Amino acid sequence: MTAFWKKIVRNRALLLLVLPGTVWFLIFAYLPMFGTVLAFKDFRISPDGFFASVLNSEWVGFKNFEYLFRTSDAYIITRNTILYNVAMIILGLVSAVAFAILLSELLNKRMAKVYQTGMFLPHFLSWVIISYFAFTFLSPDKGVLNQLLTALGMERISWYSEPAYWPLILLFVGIWKGIGYSSVIYLAAITGIDKSYYEAATIDGARKWQQIRYITLPLLRPLMIILTILAIGGIFRSDFGLFYQLPKDSGALYPVTNVIDTFVYRGLMNMGDIGMSTAAGLYQSLVGLILILTTNYIVRRIDRDQAIF
Amino acid sequence: MAQTFIKPREAGEDRRGRKKRDYNAITPFWNVIFNIGVGLFAFSCVFPFLFVIMISLTDEQTLALEGFSLWPSEFSTAAYRYVFQSGNELLLSFGVTLAVTVIGTLLTLALVTTYSYALSRRSFEFRGFFSFLAFFTMLFSGGMVPGYIVMTQFLHLQNTIWALILPLSLSAFSIIVMRTFFQTTVPDEVVESAKIDGAGEFRAFFSIVLPISLPGIATIGLFSALGYWNDWFNALLYYNNPDQTPPLQFLLMQIEKNMDFLTKNAQYLGNFDAAAGLPTETVRMAMVVLATLPIVLAYPFFQRYFIQGLTVGSVKG
Amino acid sequence: MSKRKTLPLALALMLMISVLAACGGGGAADKGAPAKESEAVQSDGTVDVSKLDPVTLKLYLIGPTPNDLPKVQEEMNKYLTEKINTKLDISMIDWGDYTQRMQVITSSGEDYDIAFTSAWAFDYLPNAAKGAFLPINDLLDQYGQGIKDTIDPRFLEGSKVNGVNYAVPNQKELAGQAVWRFNKKYVDKYKLDLDSVTTLESLEPLLKTIKESEPADITPLAVPKSFKPPLPFDFLIGDEIPIGMYLDTKDNKYVNVLDTPEFKQALTTMRKYYQAGYVREDIATLEGIDNMKTGKWLVDKEITQPYADLLWSRSAGYDIVSRPMQQPVIATGSAAGSMMAISSYSKNPERSMMFLNLLNTDPVLRNMIQYGIEDVHYKKLEGNYIEDLPAMSENYAMPGFALGNLFLTYLHEGDPEDKWEQFEAFNESALVAPSFGFNFDTAPVKTEVASVTNVAKEFIPVLFTGSVDPEEYLPKAQQKFKDAGIDRVIAEAQKQYDAWAAEQGK
Repeated sequence: MTAFWKKIVRNRALLLLVLPGTVWFLIFAYLPMFGTVLAFKDFRISPDGFFASVLNSEWVGFKNFEYLFRTSDAYIITRNTILYNVAMIILGLVSAVAFAILLSELLNKRMAKVYQTGMFLPHFLSWVIISYFAFTFLSPDKGVLNQLLTALGMERISWYSEPAYWPLILLFVGIWKGIGYSSVIYLAAITGIDKSYYEAATIDGARKWQQIRYITLPLLRPLMIILTILAIGGIFRSDFGLFYQLPKDSGALYPVTNVIDTFVYRGLMNMGDIGMSTAAGLYQSLVGLILILTTNYIVRRIDRDQAIF
Repeated sequence: MAQTFIKPREAGEDRRGRKKRDYNAITPFWNVIFNIGVGLFAFSCVFPFLFVIMISLTDEQTLALEGFSLWPSEFSTAAYRYVFQSGNELLLSFGVTLAVTVIGTLLTLALVTTYSYALSRRSFEFRGFFSFLAFFTMLFSGGMVPGYIVMTQFLHLQNTIWALILPLSLSAFSIIVMRTFFQTTVPDEVVESAKIDGAGEFRAFFSIVLPISLPGIATIGLFSALGYWNDWFNALLYYNNPDQTPPLQFLLMQIEKNMDFLTKNAQYLGNFDAAAGLPTETVRMAMVVLATLPIVLAYPFFQRYFIQGLTVGSVKG
Repeated sequence: MSKRKTLPLALALMLMISVLAACGGGGAADKGAPAKESEAVQSDGTVDVSKLDPVTLKLYLIGPTPNDLPKVQEEMNKYLTEKINTKLDISMIDWGDYTQRMQVITSSGEDYDIAFTSAWAFDYLPNAAKGAFLPINDLLDQYGQGIKDTIDPRFLEGSKVNGVNYAVPNQKELAGQAVWRFNKKYVDKYKLDLDSVTTLESLEPLLKTIKESEPADITPLAVPKSFKPPLPFDFLIGDEIPIGMYLDTKDNKYVNVLDTPEFKQALTTMRKYYQAGYVREDIATLEGIDNMKTGKWLVDKEITQPYADLLWSRSAGYDIVSRPMQQPVIATGSAAGSMMAISSYSKNPERSMMFLNLLNTDPVLRNMIQYGIEDVHYKKLEGNYIEDLPAMSENYAMPGFALGNLFLTYLHEGDPEDKWEQFEAFNESALVAPSFGFNFDTAPVKTEVASVTNVAKEFIPVLFTGSVDPEEYLPKAQQKFKDAGIDRVIAEAQKQYDAWAAEQGK
């Protein structure tokens, strides 16, 4: 033990530096993990305060999970969460790299800068604002899309009660918002690539497409992997706003817009049942964990060095 | 630990790069095609904002009859007059958001820089443990409800601005970015030599490491500021007292549901034609414009900082 | 870093967490001893204020926050300090937000004292079952004698859950009657015949007239997402969950409302109205509706009480008339139409009951909370009559039915002297459903009720507003409600009902 204390003393300065952050992690990340016991309790409010309520509540095993799996909800929200995230990550990656390459090839650098700035705008806006934007297009009576449809002599569509269109809408808006930001990161990486590679390639007679394929993309690969892993790490706080704000809580759209996040939130708000909502949240954490482990496994197969663990 | 592969571009390199590229450039034909493609997309990113401005300037009656249109047959500034006359709710919300953003960003910077600096130091013998402590939170979380309980039952911070600030002030993501930034821009030798010169760990951190890490700090700071400015989720969870001034984004969410905050000030109604009624729809859009304007005006000037620190720091965690 | 060295550190962190947790737990448990209050109440029911400590009660009420609430609150506090040494801290939450916000406030464990609850907002039954409200029977005996003496005993009787009261009902009309409200401006303009209006279907010619003759921004049927067409059922747990008993039931059986022809017909009609443009096209996402404020509407749906037209016209600032959809009904939720509950977390349950007692027996307090300050918000006329001053509608409009005993309040010009007796008569005229007084205990089927509630959120609003085609969505809804366990809920309800009915000797 003395060796341990000596080590603490030796590292006291750096330990002091990590202390504030550690306290934060303990309170806001680790303490809630203990809260997951509520998922296994039948929470009843007792007058002696919250902690007494927790202690006095009965253990019920997995009963709180039952409501999740009683209807097809568990399947739907899990499917939506995984599919949307996977699609968003893949399409986001492809389109961001594509735009970055396009931007890097434009002859007029000043225009490229202007485009870049324009594409960056959605990244700075909140989902609340973007849902207002979407409404100007999708509003059934005033929206631009329905005006267009009417002008073309077609039936108007009540966008907020037609689930068929929403996977597309959500994917488009999700990528639209994020692309400016990620393509700029890739662009910075492309401009950082040593020009002599391309010079050598041109001398060898490589065409543009071949240069991209054999120089740019391989050099971008590490960055792609990192950003992808980070994106997957962010699935926990997946774009709640996208799925909650954009469809304006329209029940008809739940089958295609409900993800685990919004399901947990609605559970807490509509039923006010702490036990069941915690159970759903725990389920979400497990799905997230599996997703991350899976990606890590895949990354490991592709490139051992880039895996997180 | 992989090292960075992107070198930040030096000032003079740009011109050289452009000159060199000339003989490897795309043909003018493809240039036009690319310009149109990228240009259209870039326009689609800016267009909605312009559209909302036009809507907010539409006459309410015209809007109701013609729908949202880019060039309404009748313009009106009634919505803006109404917003400005109807008291200071919008201004107060601006104030709350500003306070949350400033305090939150400072707090984030304090937490992130200290924690990630320690993790970046090879001589730190507990590095493994504290790295794990931070990165494990990316793998598993207690979920929304336990987090909510900690905030309300344990810290009792609901309905205070701390409920909006604290949940966002640290993340494993920003620690990864900042730690990598320290590792790549501040070699251990710099700190060691400072220590040989008699500086303590703290002195070295504050007077040597922080000043040379400003680009990274700016990136993290801007990330965090943006996160705070645009956050509505914490208000949705923790602001349940109607007397509390909501942050801007939350106010926008509330007026989507009802315009009570505006009609509360019905005494100002006198200025408006009672038959035409309240300009409710256009007022909503006017609020969106007013809430977005500061960001739209400011972001072109600091957008490069969003990339600068990250491109250096974007190596694996 | 090796395991051996990590362990002590991890243990130290664990210890820190548990210490932190322990700190957080304190504070909630100390309940003020009720000794002071019990001493202060004299044997004849009067209160000796000198024996009471000063206390501030936190109240949550429903409705938009009026501008002058702080002013009036201060005035009430002066009065209440004299009476029971108590101050109030009132927060109002708007209609549409109330249920959710109170749900959150309850789960956050906030130690508020009193909250509005009812069968339709911050739902009484599930929250009572969850333990959110304090059982008040003992408190009523000790500090709420006035309440027991004043209000119609059917209210307290009808809101018992398993023999226990969890809230004080506000004395008002007991029977519920839904009406169509009309904007008189358009009724007069087109000489619309209101006498033939009763059902949803009978509205059609009127809606058609408006749709064809007025500009597009006048909404014929101005209702939001939460609209429920009239249905002849006594709903078990709120009108969003489709379980009910026919009001004129012969066999006293709960049925799945989705399977009834009345339900199908209502949906078909609403679909027709939606497609004809009689409701707002964005109704599926319309949380609230501004038409009432802007006056651009013909008809909406409301629950009435005697002389309600006068009340509505006063608050809207233009004339409103109404026609009933059905005869008045006294049913399951009737006694729970508007109530005040004391929170389980309240630190001052005794004083809260003393306050509620005053709210139901003391005309000064009761009128102050509803009408504000004399000569600021209203002018006193002869007798029990008052006249609203402009400040009332601008700065102090409160929902009178949700603030304690309504029969104590002032009358307005046009109100008959015997207004409150009319309420009695209104109650007499009502159809009493056999299930009146039966309150369902949801605890045994908690999981099923949760699932069913979830499904209802998904399907009920879109179906009831006509936003989707019932031919396609009704079968989907039926299936999903079945999966969610609606049949189990119905069976449990029937079991409890039969036991209750046997006990009542029905």
